[in-house]
Formats: sequence, structure tokens, C-alpha cells
Amino acid sequence: MFKRLYRWLDLRIGAGQIVEKELTGYLLPRNINEWYSLGSVLLVIFALQVVTGMLLMVYYVPDADKAFQSVTFIMNEVPYGWLIRLCHAVGSNMMVAVLILHMLSTMIMGSYKSPRELNWVTGFILLTLVQAISLTGYLAPWSQLSFWATTVATNSASAIPVIGPYLVEFLRGGKLVGPPTLGRFFALHVAILPVVIAALIGAHLFFLKRTGVSTPPFGVDETDKPFKPESYSYQSHPGGIPFFPNYALQDLTSIFIYFAIFLAVVFFAPNMPFTPDSFVPADPFKTPAHIKPEWYFLANYQTLKIFPSELLGLSVQAIAMTFLALLPFIDRSPERHPMKRPLFLVCTAAGILLWIGLTVWGHFS
Amino acid sequence: MENDGRRKFLGVCLAGATAAAAVAAGYPVIRYLGPRSSETSAEKLVFTASDLPEGEAKFFEYAGASAVIVKTKTGELVALSAVCTHLGCIVQWVKEKQHFLCPCHAGEFATDGSVLSGPPPRPLAKIPLTLTEGKVTIG
Repeated sequence: MFKRLYRWLDLRIGAGQIVEKELTGYLLPRNINEWYSLGSVLLVIFALQVVTGMLLMVYYVPDADKAFQSVTFIMNEVPYGWLIRLCHAVGSNMMVAVLILHMLSTMIMGSYKSPRELNWVTGFILLTLVQAISLTGYLAPWSQLSFWATTVATNSASAIPVIGPYLVEFLRGGKLVGPPTLGRFFALHVAILPVVIAALIGAHLFFLKRTGVSTPPFGVDETDKPFKPESYSYQSHPGGIPFFPNYALQDLTSIFIYFAIFLAVVFFAPNMPFTPDSFVPADPFKTPAHIKPEWYFLANYQTLKIFPSELLGLSVQAIAMTFLALLPFIDRSPERHPMKRPLFLVCTAAGILLWIGLTVWGHFS
Repeated sequence: MENDGRRKFLGVCLAGATAAAAVAAGYPVIRYLGPRSSETSAEKLVFTASDLPEGEAKFFEYAGASAVIVKTKTGELVALSAVCTHLGCIVQWVKEKQHFLCPCHAGEFATDGSVLSGPPPRPLAKIPLTLTEGKVTIG
């Protein structure tokens, strides 16, 4: 039956031609590795976040008086509501983690280098947007944790000279975090940011399709042709392996490994994304002790604590983020093998260790 | 030939695993979106009979749907489903004419629920009620 349906489609829209061009005839480097499949894993995670987010909107009420109650209702009353919400909460953490791994692998293999600067920049913007969508979603349950983490996060913008205090008020929709903050964060979380993220994913994939997949610096690839900046050229891999079925199988393997880890957290460590303050409704008159942001913001949080001035702490972070965003324009050597880039390797290792160190410090401080 | 059999077997296994995964993912979603059983259960409602003047009707929710109780000019109490049997709109009480009118397609019902005119195919469903010591119990 599938064959007949395929034939029917092929006669009308030339399905065979698309399959030949995009799947079986889409050749990838022979030495491509599993790290290249993290992009596909991220697409699956994003799709799952969209689906679970839509399902949560069926019962969630974005009203300060009803939000916490509606989340409790989803968790305790609605059949499988706990599963949908946990998938969404754990998925958001996983998305940040996999995104970081995807960016690290790109860095180590030098895939951000010319002519793939746009892929890197769109990927970097996606990282910041994913952090933003996580932050805005964090307020949605209107718990003590949501309320005070948002208070602290939005308050850090006040260190920006001149416009800082106004910016904080603009972000919150008032002097303090309150019902107007929930309204604007909810709109950002469910409407604006997902659309922008989807558009940027489209741009990211478009750049990938136009430049072609980079060749890993490891192993021998007889198809590698160095990029010459005189005219546009698509980096093809004649003699490479087809995307379908060869690499699609690798993508699927990585997706299954991801699901194994993701579902293990959902079923066996469901409280991982929560602290006791997540189970108490927001109280604007009672700040809980030791309010901490999510793990991926702990390094930023600790940096702000280390520096005597908040402005200095923010500036250091802004410089680090700008450096990372402009990495392909700073590191312009064509060499991509990490072992042949000792300075890069030392800096990256030091950067990762510093980030981990600050995160652990932030957690225990 | 042996290879073909193995390929077919693996294909069937893959299709089976995919179907199982689809059921495992789909079942919680269907249950999640399904109507809540407690909201459709019929619980008894109690009114004070004197709260309802003669010739007046009172609308309320019963068993997850709209219902109406009317006290006719003769003093008789009748409880009916307020959902029009034509296309499911909620009927209105026309006090002057002492009958129900469906505003969607002008179906008219008498106080006993029977169809007076218009497109409704069936009378309004009757809801049992009991009157004891001035208290009306619906259901």
C-alpha cells in the first residue's frame, strides 16, 4: 500500500526526485561522526516542547490568582497531566544541555569557521533565545521559586547605567514582579519566542543547506575541498555516505539515546527540575531563603556575586558572550583539528572549567 | 531468499515497535484531553420551592448541561433539559407566552417539554424532581 501511495505522490509532485536530492542522494562526509546528529536531536526536543506546551495551554490559566492552582490541577487531577508537565519542564532543561553540547562539538571540530559564520551566529542567537524562553516559562507556575527567581533575574538589568531602572520596570510591567509580568512573560513564552526560534531554526537549516555539511577534522576524507572566498560554492561530498538510510540511522540512534536519558529523568527523578519552593504559591511579601536560578544560569548568578559592582559583573558577562558570538570572526585560521590549535584548545578547556567551577560554586554558595 | 525473510521480519518488528510507541505516546494524550468524568456526573440539587414564583423559570447546571425548572401558573413544578433537541442551543423562557423559545431557529416548546412548533424533532428531556416539605430535589 505504501508503494502505491508513494507512486501516486511521485506522479503528481515528483516525490522520487525530492528523495533522490534530499535523502538518498544527499551525500555526507565519509568520516562524519555522531556529534553531527545533535542538531536532529534538538529539532525533536523543540517539537516535543511545542507539543507539550500546547497541551499544557489546554488547562493552564495565565492569571496570577489562578496560575498556581491550574498547574496543581494539571499535576494532580488531570489524567497524565503530571507526565505532560514533567516532559515540558525536563525537556526545557535538556534542550539547554543538548544545545550546549551541540555548540561545544561545533567549537572543538572548528565547524564555525569560514564559510559557516552565519550558522554559528544563528546558533548562538538560538542559545540565548532558548535561555530566554526557559526564563519566561519559569514564571508560568507562579510559585515562590518562579516569582523570586524572576525578581532576581529581572533585577540584574537595573545595573545597566541610565536605562537600567526603566528597563526593569518595562520587563516587569510595573515596579515589582506581579500580574502584569505574568501576562507579558506568558505572551513571550507561548507566542513571540517560539515563532522567533522557529524562524531562526529555519534560517540555521537554510544556511546549512546552502553551505553544505562541514567535514570533520578527524579521520581521512578524500572529498574535502578547502573553501576559497572568491565565489559561492556548495561544499559537496562526492563519494560520501547518503543521508538516508546511513546517517538517518545515526540520527535515530542519537534520538533514542536522548529519549532514554530524558524518560529516565521524567520517570525516576521527576523532582530534578524542582526545589521545595516550586510547590509553594508565590507570596510577594515573603522572600524564601537561598533562591537560586536554574543550573544554566548559576554561572551568571555567581559571576554577579563575585564582582563588587553589579555593572562590572554584567559587563564581564556581556564581553564573554560577545566574544563567543563573534568567535568565527576572531578565530580566522583555516585549521580545524583541535590538536593542531593548542591555544584554542587551552582557552576552550579553561572556559569550560571556569563555567563548571562557577556553576558548582553558585550551587553551593 | 533467506535475506528477504529476515528483512521482512525486521520490518514487521519495526512496524510493531513504532505502533507500540505511538500507542504509548498517544494514550496519555487522549486521556489528558478527554472530558473529566466528575463534571458529567449527575448530582442531586435542592431548591426551596418558594424561591420560584408562579409563571417563572430558573436555569441551572445539571449533569454537566443546562437545565431549567419552571413553576406553571397552576403551581405545577417541571424540570427539563434546556438544550434544544434541534441543534443544541439553550432555550429561553418566554414569560408572557408561558413557553420556551429556542433563539437559534425559533423552535417552541410547551412547559411540559413537548414541541409546539418549529424544527425540533423531539420534546425537551424531562428531569425527575421530588417535592418534600417545600424543598425541590432535582435528580
